[in-house]
Amino acid sequence: MSAFSILTRGLALFMLAVFIFAPQLFAFAFEPLTANNAPAIYNQGSLLSLTLSHLRIVVGATLASTVVAVALGIFVTRPAGLDFLPLSRSLVNVGQTFPPIAVLAIAVPLVGFGEKPTFIALFLYGLLPIFENTLSGLTQVSPLTLEAAKGMGMSPRQRLFQIELPLALPVILTGIRLSVIISLGTATIGSTVAAKGLGEVIIAGLQSNNVAFILQGGLVVALLAVLIHDGLSVAERAVARRLGRPADETT
Amino acid sequence: MRPLRSGLPLDPLGSVIAILIGVALLAAPFVTYRANRIVSGEGRMLAEALPVLVAAAVFAVAFGAGLAAALIRNPLARLAAALVGLAAIFPAVGLSAVFLTPSGNSFARISPSVGFWLLTLSFALLAADSLTRLRLGPWARLAALATAFGAVALLLLSGAWDGLSILKEYATRSDSFWREARQHLFLALGSLAAACLVGLPLGMLCHRVRALRAGILQALNVIQTIPSIALFGLLMVPLGTLAAASPLAAGLGIRGIGAAPALLALFLYSLLPIVANTVLGLNQVPAVVVDAARGMGLSARQRLVQIEIPLSLPIILAGIRIVLVQNLGLATVAALIGGGGFGTFVFQGIGQSAIDLVLLGAIPTVALSFAAAIILDAATELAKGSA
Amino acid sequence: MIEIEHLTRRYGSTVVVDDVSLRVEEGAIAVVVGTSGAGKSTLLRMINRLVEPSAGRVLIDGQDTRTVPEDELRHRIGYVIQGYGLFPHRTVAENIATVPRLLGWGSKRIAARVNELLDLFQLDPAEFARKFPHQLSGGQQQRVGVARALAARPALLLMDEPFGALDAVIRAKAQEDLLAIQRRLGTTIVLVTHDMNEAFQLGDRIAVMDQARLLQYATPTELLTRPAEDFVERLVGTVERPFRLLSLTGVQAALEPGGAEGEPIALSDNLQNALSQLVWSGRESLPVADPNGVIVGRISVGGILAHGRPPA
Ligand SMILES: Nc1ncnc2c1ncn2[C@@H]1O[C@H](COP(=O)(O)OP(=O)(O)O)[C@@H](O)[C@H]1O
Ligand SMILES: [Mg+2]
Repeated sequence: MSAFSILTRGLALFMLAVFIFAPQLFAFAFEPLTANNAPAIYNQGSLLSLTLSHLRIVVGATLASTVVAVALGIFVTRPAGLDFLPLSRSLVNVGQTFPPIAVLAIAVPLVGFGEKPTFIALFLYGLLPIFENTLSGLTQVSPLTLEAAKGMGMSPRQRLFQIELPLALPVILTGIRLSVIISLGTATIGSTVAAKGLGEVIIAGLQSNNVAFILQGGLVVALLAVLIHDGLSVAERAVARRLGRPADETT
Repeated sequence: MRPLRSGLPLDPLGSVIAILIGVALLAAPFVTYRANRIVSGEGRMLAEALPVLVAAAVFAVAFGAGLAAALIRNPLARLAAALVGLAAIFPAVGLSAVFLTPSGNSFARISPSVGFWLLTLSFALLAADSLTRLRLGPWARLAALATAFGAVALLLLSGAWDGLSILKEYATRSDSFWREARQHLFLALGSLAAACLVGLPLGMLCHRVRALRAGILQALNVIQTIPSIALFGLLMVPLGTLAAASPLAAGLGIRGIGAAPALLALFLYSLLPIVANTVLGLNQVPAVVVDAARGMGLSARQRLVQIEIPLSLPIILAGIRIVLVQNLGLATVAALIGGGGFGTFVFQGIGQSAIDLVLLGAIPTVALSFAAAIILDAATELAKGSA
Repeated sequence: MIEIEHLTRRYGSTVVVDDVSLRVEEGAIAVVVGTSGAGKSTLLRMINRLVEPSAGRVLIDGQDTRTVPEDELRHRIGYVIQGYGLFPHRTVAENIATVPRLLGWGSKRIAARVNELLDLFQLDPAEFARKFPHQLSGGQQQRVGVARALAARPALLLMDEPFGALDAVIRAKAQEDLLAIQRRLGTTIVLVTHDMNEAFQLGDRIAVMDQARLLQYATPTELLTRPAEDFVERLVGTVERPFRLLSLTGVQAALEPGGAEGEPIALSDNLQNALSQLVWSGRESLPVADPNGVIVGRISVGGILAHGRPPA
């Protein structure tokens, strides 16, 4: 990363933090957007607690998706699960044609309003990219590498944990990043079903016709997403570097 | 080689499906009965939901299909079993609505319940697995899609499902349904068309001018990362200002809320896949091929049109597939800012706690995305074959 | 010692290895040659049970390999494949340490062993231990591959076209190095190749396979002078035959008493090289010197040629 991009990211993070902790400092910037003496800064809850509950639900759902999706990905690539591999591939393809909002909307009648339907939608939808990447990460391990591991007497378990998973890790991490970004967006929409989150600010703005709310909600969500995306990308590259560049061994 | 197993040759996936079918038939209500639109309903098992002979027949067919799934490995036979199963439960759920609605009562609502959905899921899984194993070519897949849509259309037109509550929701708003459908397509396809017009040349430019590539792709990447409502919100402000400042813009229908910010946001989201895949597609055209074309005296323009574009078409089409599926889904969110589309029903439904209304918006969206994915996958494969 | 007894492998109705029996003495190198698809790799992979035999058995030092758990068996047998299969996410040192770690060696012992092997293969530990495979040249990767296979001091080393990915110059050097290391460690080796020159250079005994069958298993000289079938005769090459035979015979065999003019030939050299020097120097005979430089006799063109044909 260039010094410039590190600087802009650092600055963006700083501004975001200041805004979340003390939004009133920025009231002057949003005042021109309000009409009829409407408040310039969201006043129906603290931005900090909204941000925290937004992040909590995203992190929780992503953790659950990761555990389940990676376990499923491992299962369908073992001899015992191979029968499920073709179907699971097409299911992932079909699943991704479901808009996250549809999943969210269908969950509401089943479990009621609040965080539950949002969590379910985030979890289900988050499975797809992680599962897909786990599959491609595990299946792209070179057969030569596996043959060597087997020939040296590694048990299936040792091959999985010492060879296959470490080699697939960068690809799996990419899946987790995609999943987190989709979840951040879906959690925003979750506010329409009464999940506590940053979407609340935007929805409140839409309902009361307050452009200032819409803008600050949009800015916070957008910055948060971009920064998290960036941070996860950096982590991915660091892991890939630490594991050595997975290159073709044959030259 | 699979080691031979002793005992009954059970298919593992088929066994899971058979268990699902068993649970659906024996332990889950087939339909939900509600006295009116808003109250919560009560489940009706298959045996109570249909005349006894019909119920027995449906039970037998579904049970048989489950057995076939567990015992038969031939994909064609499994596909047939899945289709027979679907052919039994789809009309049956419509019939059950007629059977359960007290005559003359226009408030009672009958909707498919867990049992029906589980059965549908089981047969769909079985069909999907068989189709995957059959490795159909692109034309065969398109034909299968057309047949499936034809069959559902036939059921809808025949009135067999008219008693179901989702169609009652439709009946009371058939005008707005088709208006929102057009709007949904307009948002998804209009933004796609605009993104192609801008993105394809931009991709070619990025391919030629390396200095631009990283910057443009990074900027588009950042836009992709922004959640949809946030981007809608961010665009409302400048568009609103524009409308207020310029009567011309306002006259063109550009306003802070409504279709304009939605269209613009979908357009921005669409750029990354199109530009990135165009660059990727042009990059993977083998240098020797381009060199040979140059050696034969083709001009830069001829090389682009006759060599580079045809050879990168499959990858560009893959980008368009991503965009179309993504847009059809994201267009649902447009309803939140007054942009219309199927999302209108979804959010209304959420507001009124009316699941049928939610489904009225969600099911067509999913069907559209699903069809778009299959059609564009087939097109990509055909382009690969001809390139 | 390895005894392969009536080893057979079938896939469906095709027989890939057909009733092969052979025995490799302790400390010897057996080379399996044959055209591609002959069943060489399958034969090799049945020794460490990467492929289960359909019939027959393998005894290592008298012990039936089926009585040992698969993984334990493989810990005791080194295995090198074409392309090496180095673990791309592990450093050179970690790659070499694979089997010792599986065996639960202590970390001090592992580190010492890794350094010892790196030295043996002329890879400076300070420079190479922490490199990743993709940072190595082809020849270096090959050496790491062999070092990794030898890490836990296996008595038996299986090699499947281990030099196949190297270019000619590096390959020749790698073959010499392997011979030197094998002579030093006394490891028994079974090596698969489709390269006849490699077979003659490395093999104490050569097994010729074609279409799943073992056609002949004999010393290189026997293979040249008494080929069991036309196929073997064609495979060893009718043009190269005399020269291969000469290359297998030491100068000692054609040593004559007396002296001669010119640059002496080393007693340890082979007859092919001696002939080459005679032709190049344009002489009928040259002196022969022992390792201390003492002239012990002479060697002549006529004397050499007598060794380049089968015994009557
Ligand atoms: N797992 C397998 N299933 C079916 N056929 C195989 C399998 N492995 C090898 N073969 C066949 O066995 C024959 C011998 O293979 P191999 O031992 O690899 O030959 P070589 O190493 O001599 O080139 C080839 O024709 C190959 O196609
Ligand atoms: Mg081979």
